[in-house]
Amino acid sequence: MTENASSVPDARHQIPLPAARRGRRKSLTAWLFITPAFLFYAAFVLVPLIMSLYYSFLRWDGIGEARFHGLTNYITVLTDSDLLQIIGNAFQLVLYFTIIPVGLGLAVASAIRGQMNGRFGMATRTILFLPQVIPLVAAGIAWSWMFASTGLVNQALKSVGLSSWVKGWLGDFVWALPAVGVIGAWVLLGLCTMLLVTGITKIDTSLYEAARLDGARPWHEFRYITLPGLRQEIGVCITVTVIAALASFDIVYISTQGGPGITTTVPGLEIYRLAFAHRQVGLASALAIVLMVLVLLSIAPVQWFTRDKK
Amino acid sequence: MAGLSLKSLHKTYGKVEVIKGVDLEIEDGEFVVFVGPSGCGKSTLLRMIAGLEDITGGELYIGDKLCNDVEPRDRSIAMVFQSYALYPHMTVYDNVGFGLKLAKTPKDVRDQKIREAARILKMEHLLDRKPGQLSGGQRQRVAIGRAIVRQPEVFLFDEPLSNLDAALRVDTRMEIAKLHADLGATMIYVTHDQVEAMTLADKIVVLDAGVVQQVGSPIELYQRPQNLFVAGFIGSPKMNFVEVAVEAVDGDTVTVASKDVASLRIPANSTSLNIGDKLTLGIRPHDLLPASNGAIVGRVSLVERLGNETIVNLELSSGAAWLAVLEGDQPLRIGESLILSAEPQKAILFDRNGLALLRAA
Amino acid sequence: MKSATTNTLLARALIVLLMAITLLPFLSMLSAALAPAGSYPNGLQWPADPQWGNFVRAFEVAKMDQLLLSSGLIVLGVVPVAVLLATMAGYGLAKLTTDKYKWLYLAFVFGLTLPFEAVITPLYYEVRAMGLLNTRFAIILPLIGLYMPFGVYWMRAHFLNVPQDLSEAAQIDGATRWTEFWYVQVPLARPAIMSLTILLFLWTWNQFLLPVVLVQDPMQRTMAGALGAFQGQWGTDIPLLCAGSLLILTPTVVIFLIFQRQFVAALMQGAVKG
Repeated sequence: MTENASSVPDARHQIPLPAARRGRRKSLTAWLFITPAFLFYAAFVLVPLIMSLYYSFLRWDGIGEARFHGLTNYITVLTDSDLLQIIGNAFQLVLYFTIIPVGLGLAVASAIRGQMNGRFGMATRTILFLPQVIPLVAAGIAWSWMFASTGLVNQALKSVGLSSWVKGWLGDFVWALPAVGVIGAWVLLGLCTMLLVTGITKIDTSLYEAARLDGARPWHEFRYITLPGLRQEIGVCITVTVIAALASFDIVYISTQGGPGITTTVPGLEIYRLAFAHRQVGLASALAIVLMVLVLLSIAPVQWFTRDKK
Repeated sequence: MAGLSLKSLHKTYGKVEVIKGVDLEIEDGEFVVFVGPSGCGKSTLLRMIAGLEDITGGELYIGDKLCNDVEPRDRSIAMVFQSYALYPHMTVYDNVGFGLKLAKTPKDVRDQKIREAARILKMEHLLDRKPGQLSGGQRQRVAIGRAIVRQPEVFLFDEPLSNLDAALRVDTRMEIAKLHADLGATMIYVTHDQVEAMTLADKIVVLDAGVVQQVGSPIELYQRPQNLFVAGFIGSPKMNFVEVAVEAVDGDTVTVASKDVASLRIPANSTSLNIGDKLTLGIRPHDLLPASNGAIVGRVSLVERLGNETIVNLELSSGAAWLAVLEGDQPLRIGESLILSAEPQKAILFDRNGLALLRAA
Repeated sequence: MKSATTNTLLARALIVLLMAITLLPFLSMLSAALAPAGSYPNGLQWPADPQWGNFVRAFEVAKMDQLLLSSGLIVLGVVPVAVLLATMAGYGLAKLTTDKYKWLYLAFVFGLTLPFEAVITPLYYEVRAMGLLNTRFAIILPLIGLYMPFGVYWMRAHFLNVPQDLSEAAQIDGATRWTEFWYVQVPLARPAIMSLTILLFLWTWNQFLLPVVLVQDPMQRTMAGALGAFQGQWGTDIPLLCAGSLLILTPTVVIFLIFQRQFVAALMQGAVKG
């Protein structure tokens, strides 16, 4: 019966069986190549995702009996003030993770405009990529030390006479979240800068010359040539950094554990806590699904605006 | 060695039919050229023979074997691609020997065959290079070497010369002809260039819109094209056409005339013709002669003097643009009118459906 | 032209500043790592008596040799398999399927933006049901699956650019799809495979969430996961913590410095395509 099902639907009667048989053999080969990857993907991504969705409708402590809980978990996620603050924290992190690297990257790229060759360029690339190579955990530890009361940040403040600013940054209710944001910005800065610097070399320099002949000021050059020319690279930077911010876990886990209070707790950390410390698997899963949807919703418009229109 | 037999071959992509029932017999050892304009289906037909495209309908026999369902590797064919398709990561030696290696040919036999092929193609000095280090012509040789080393029963060539410059194209064309003479294998060659077709083929298959227009020897196609398409496609420069009307029918000659053409008596199959019927008259540019008593009058619009011959563009009073290739140097001036005569034996009449009214040979 | 040179100077200054900001945390850690054990060092201050022995102590305390082994085993378990499966599937999706199977590709791509946190809870129960909790397989197997979206996407993009002619020539030369894959496609895909290998190596070595959730014993974890445990245990001894952290990030940095060019290329392309 599978034989009938897989033959071409609008097959004319003159088509002999062999063609169909060869086609089927071809798709069998295709399956042999694709299936192993798909099995792993299904087993460790698709199935857990479906389970997440399933758990999100349950009230379950992970051990005892699970009870159907309807949309209650989702309602909690979207109304509970703590959880809303946690989601809000993630979006605040986007400001730091995204705007600082992209902004500084743009500044460097448009100033240097593609002269990153030779030894200097090589050294720059190597150093700026270091934060991409080390574990985020190590970045977290390094910066916990930077922000510690005897750390470099306070030391620097004191040396310029701003002793009143000295504080334990990561333990401060106001400053902990921005401090975490700075860590993320530090990690992503090099990658964004290099992407934008590379991107700007692809812009035809005669465009700038033509613009200058047309009387463009530096700001105009930036606004009308650099920005549009870098649209794709900017899109890439924003996508990468937004995902890094919304789905952050490692840095927060190491540097603040979400504190003080919940001022630096992000959804990733809260999912971990709810599921494995508070044993609220259903609520954790609902938050996980919401996080996934938020990431998709945040990325979609960026992709839409910056994709190469063909 | 083997012949091929194509029986009512069809190919459709979705709802588009690109090969509309091709019947063809190819003899063992024959050099067959598929020729036609781009999009006529010639490459698709070749790829169906190669097994690179599925056959939607009909039967393909290579030798005595039904091959519709046979994988390319089991068809005892070799193919030279338009892009050459050499493996960029392998040396010339490995490129040529890849098929043998896959066939698990012993290493010493393999080596001997590769060197033999290299010798035939005069590329022994290239064996250690990678394709990226070769010129277009050299790549072409490697691609041919890869084909001959496997000693296939049928060679397939897909526009093999189209990426070469003009001078190299002529040389390679002659080499392929020589290769065919030496190997005596069946070769099928696809091209859109009718000069290649004329010079190489034992048998030309003219295709248009997925239909075989005519099959025959080069001279046959040149002298006795079966329809307007073949008449226009074979021969360079193109055959001239003009609308004429039947004035008189007399046994196996027909007298035609028009505004541009005074009465011309042309041998033709006159059955079913009536006086007044509209026909198309075709005369090749080389068959026109300047003659004060000629039947055709045109105004000279362009003259190309090549020394040994003169190519004249003419505009007939009906607006038809004609070409005449005249012997020797003819110092004609643009705008002057030129009277030409044509040998009636070489003129061809076509009916309203474009079919040639040929007298039985 | 004067403005161009001032511009360049400004850019260089900016870049030097960025480099300084990038390096400062490392230097600060180094200076703290050299302070006397258990002391409270100052931000960036070269200690009078550098305690290089802190590194030795951290090496012993953190059981770095075991950690290296564990991380190495996990990388060996994940990367070759993930690269192979992704290469095969990328080839299959690019060369063997028609538009009819576009959905399959889209199914893979859907996973590209998926945060690991979204599946970590069910993964825990799944791995537990498989009896793999607290083993390295708890990290290895899920990671292979989680890398498939990127890996398949990456390799498919590569194979789409390989001319169809080469496949056809190989088929006529007598290759099956399998031999074509190994003799023609894989050698040609070497640069793409290399980049993918580098990226997956980094991501695996630095993976934190999975080890933290799925493996209790730091000795069965990745480097990053072990670092988390190390911080939990020695977080108050700043010199030791900094020394340990520096040790733990050394292997990737060393490999990065050796393969600098390939790493940078891989990371940039990886970002662009991912």
